[in-house]
Amino acid sequence: MHKECKKHFKKVSQYLDGELDARTCEKIRLHLQECPECRHCVDSLRKTIDLCRKLPKEKVPPEMKRDLLETLRKALTDRAPQNF
Amino acid sequence: MALIKTDDTDHQLISRFKEGSSEAMEKIVERYQESIFNFGLRMCGHMQDAEDIMQDTFLNAFNGLHSFREETKLKNWLFRIAAHACQRKRRKKKFQPDRELSLESFFPKEGTEARFEIPDPASDPAQDLMRSELKQVIEEAVYSLPPKYKLVFNLRDMEGFSTEETAEILEISVQSVKTRLHRARLYLREKISNHYKDEESHAQGV
Repeated sequence: MHKECKKHFKKVSQYLDGELDARTCEKIRLHLQECPECRHCVDSLRKTIDLCRKLPKEKVPPEMKRDLLETLRKALTDRAPQNF
Repeated sequence: MALIKTDDTDHQLISRFKEGSSEAMEKIVERYQESIFNFGLRMCGHMQDAEDIMQDTFLNAFNGLHSFREETKLKNWLFRIAAHACQRKRRKKKFQPDRELSLESFFPKEGTEARFEIPDPASDPAQDLMRSELKQVIEEAVYSLPPKYKLVFNLRDMEGFSTEETAEILEISVQSVKTRLHRARLYLREKISNHYKDEESHAQGV
């Protein structure tokens, strides 16, 4: 891996998150135009992040919701009977 | 007086809870239980552990809500409590020791070209990610992250907290969040890619 590629490799996540200053961002953008390996590195990392973010959330099972509320009501009643 | 950072709905619910409303407590639970449950599930990998994390989080939160000064968003405060609950659970169960992921370990080996096989995220998540195999591959990869990287990844990429919010929740520096997030993503890319490369090799009979 070239020295220049290594330098940018460290900042790829910040580049994707828009957390770099304009000058560094432009340097990376120009490097990506001429380096297919780094382009693949950025694209594959972007796809990884997208996949993870699209992972659907699990629903809380209804009996778990019921148990949680019962536990909380009991705990709060024990602590402050005048309020609950 | 410190600036109140909770949104209007949470601010009203907190005020009503402090006045003794059990309905307000239920509304707070309803607003955040799914996020906390999923966070617990991704951190610990088991329904039972996720339920424990959720219960611990809300019990501790309602015990302390009377002194919560709303200097941070309610959701962020709840996740700070949840993150502590996950760390306690991990210590108690003695699973998944923490370890460092070095950046160098993700550099392509000398003389080789790095190729990653990452499936294309479908535009409709219900069509692609609901496919149980891909979902399982990603969930297992996330679960296998060393805990301190998993905490940051789950808060930043799965829950959508900003870098600054994640740093505040975990009480670590912004730079640590950035470093851990980058390494977590590189690790996940490798894990997911290796799975699909292995599948391809099997299909080709290699």
